[in-house]
Amino acid sequence: MRIVELLRDGPRPVGEIAGRLQLRQPQVSKHLRVLSDAGLVKARPVAQQRIYQLQPKPFAELDTWLDTFHRTWEGRLDSLEEYLNELQAIQRKREKKKMP
Amino acid sequence: MKVDLVVTRIIDATVELVWKAWTDPEQVMRWWGPKDYTSPLCKIDLREGGKYLFCMRAPQEQGGQDSYSGGAYKKIVPMKLLEFTQGLADKDGHKIDPAQIGMPPDFPREIRTEVVFKAIRGDMTELTITEYDWPVGQMYVFSLAGLHQSIDKLAVVLAKR
Repeated sequence: MRIVELLRDGPRPVGEIAGRLQLRQPQVSKHLRVLSDAGLVKARPVAQQRIYQLQPKPFAELDTWLDTFHRTWEGRLDSLEEYLNELQAIQRKREKKKMP
Repeated sequence: MKVDLVVTRIIDATVELVWKAWTDPEQVMRWWGPKDYTSPLCKIDLREGGKYLFCMRAPQEQGGQDSYSGGAYKKIVPMKLLEFTQGLADKDGHKIDPAQIGMPPDFPREIRTEVVFKAIRGDMTELTITEYDWPVGQMYVFSLAGLHQSIDKLAVVLAKR
């Protein structure tokens, strides 16, 4: 996940990613392969190096997923709020009636 | 990778009222579900280890299907905390394997959920709901596009980061 965070700032070659995370290059390459297989990053060869960059689509989809859950829950809380407002309005009316 | 999802809302009602709205089945049926949904059933065995079953029914125009969620209470501190597990269930409260209804293989069968009630300014309540350890793995990312259309079936309580 730290690799993903680093790539959020822009495309980088493997060597630089390894350097910044203080990991060995083969280790980083292995992680990058997994991310690449999952479609999260894409490699682009430039001269002798492979530059890695994030693929925006999966992340946009993740956002959509979180948003959907968010809406589900916000919808329930809206209903809860509305219910409690009604309940209290009824209670207030009753109290008023009791008062002379 | 796993993430906790949190949602907070300040409600203009006392903690006592909000607590009752969460723990009295008759009251839960008055609000469980988003706008235009109804709740035809709710069972609550309010004790640690006790089970619950909530149901929401989609409006007719959206198919009118029932979605059940159920689980067990893990910790109950009156007016303060409700902790429970939640998962997909059938109408009898039996757990449903998420994979059977087309959810991705790493979709959790159970999510640990915490609802915290906090009195603020005397007569208002701050409600915080946290769902712990949602896996956000490869499978999620792959299946996201198709997933959100059926999300209403989930009957899980969720929020943004």
